[in-house]
Amino acid sequence: MPPTADGFDYDAALHACALGDQQALHRLYQQDGRHLLGVALRIVRRRDLAEDVLHDAFVSIWQKAASFDAGRGAGRGWIFSVVRHQALNALRSRERDVYTDDNDALDALQEAQDGQGDTVAEQFELQANMGRLNDCLGHLDSAKRNSIVCAYVDGCSHSEIAARLNAPLGTVKAWLKRGLAALRECMA
Amino acid sequence: MTESIETLRELAGEYVLGTLPLAARHDIERRLALEPLLRAEVAAWEQRLLPLTALAEPTEPSPELWPKISNSVAGSRATAAADQSANQSADKVANDAAGQSANAAADQSANQSANAVADRSVKQSANTEADQPANKRASDAADRSANKPVGSLTPSAVTGAGGWRRWWDDLRLWRALSGGAVFATLVLAVLLTRQPSSEALQPAYMVVLVAPQERTAGYVVQASLNRKLTLTPLQGVAVPGNKSLQFWTKGTDWKAPVSLGLVRPNQSVKLTLDQLPQVQQDQLFEITLEPEAGSPTGKPTGPILYIGRAVKVAM
Repeated sequence: MPPTADGFDYDAALHACALGDQQALHRLYQQDGRHLLGVALRIVRRRDLAEDVLHDAFVSIWQKAASFDAGRGAGRGWIFSVVRHQALNALRSRERDVYTDDNDALDALQEAQDGQGDTVAEQFELQANMGRLNDCLGHLDSAKRNSIVCAYVDGCSHSEIAARLNAPLGTVKAWLKRGLAALRECMA
Repeated sequence: MTESIETLRELAGEYVLGTLPLAARHDIERRLALEPLLRAEVAAWEQRLLPLTALAEPTEPSPELWPKISNSVAGSRATAAADQSANQSADKVANDAAGQSANAAADQSANQSANAVADRSVKQSANTEADQPANKRASDAADRSANKPVGSLTPSAVTGAGGWRRWWDDLRLWRALSGGAVFATLVLAVLLTRQPSSEALQPAYMVVLVAPQERTAGYVVQASLNRKLTLTPLQGVAVPGNKSLQFWTKGTDWKAPVSLGLVRPNQSVKLTLDQLPQVQQDQLFEITLEPEAGSPTGKPTGPILYIGRAVKVAM
């Protein structure tokens, strides 16, 4: 699914953005706009908010294109990280406004979850093209794996993971901590 | 900062994962601009976890979205152009300093287009606060660079500032500079006016030490013809409690780097290089993160935090 092998030169497009070429920003948008909106939508969970996130992220990419060092050859990853962090900040900011405490958040999530019925594990099983990360996630036990995927893909907070996986908060924190450490070691 | 490397890694991992609350996220974003180690850990996590973005199903944006983005972006360009035209009056002293240093870079760099950008940028910056005395302007710039370094993740860093600071924060500028040689001229323009003339070092070589990943300038080294050398920090560096910063140099034909000793974060150092040959063109200088007592092997063992090559300065 990710268009890494189609020859699009992200670094060149970002370099052109840094020099003020607005067409280059449009090319990036055409190349990955759909996918980036998908990433933002999974995190903020509302279409209108996701489009706001994408708007702000592209303005930010335009302004910060110069800070990206083309020598790293990781332009695509940088663009995705800008969008994800924009979405995560929007999500956490909204949570703070909407929920007064964790119990409210848990209740709201429980309701949302009842209606969804999809599990992180199933979505994860669908993907085999993630290379080494796929292998390393496969070595984790399912609780740690699901905690990590839930957080990264759906923007789950500690308490949301606890709600989804029906586990105490402290346990979830330990899963994440140990899961990340194991991933890091596996991918070193 | 007495944070262990393990704590730093966990924090970086949870930041990228997204599980931190908003206040903790903003805290990390502030620290990223200042802490090369944290930046490196975050970058590593971004790279490791990126394939997981494939789990999100692509969604077609509404047709109105691109025109909105295009409008917002066009607005930001117009603002920049207006600033430029507002800064037409020239300050002779600053322009002379800028022109001189730009010439020095032109001798060294093969990248003509980057030189053109640097030259233009230096002059533009020199014009920006033309009504202030030269030394005040320079020290202000240094202060601001320490407080608000390049690489901040907040978009408002670019749009929310004015004058010199806007120039300093404008990341497009840093991107346009092809490397340390050209970059050095910009900092030189600052330092030439920063030092009282009675204490001037008459530097013969200038090195800007930059973070390898981000190209943010961390230190400036000035070496004089009488083998005096100063290391001047440009921005805050946080070092874990059980680690030290070690300063090294290596001439182009030397077999290995030679230690110039441990340096304290955020403090200037003055050295006399009486055991070493005269500094040469392209001589390497770097700062690495080492155990508290310094490298146990006499050679760099830890990650390179800042690195740069000497550029001859015409005085």
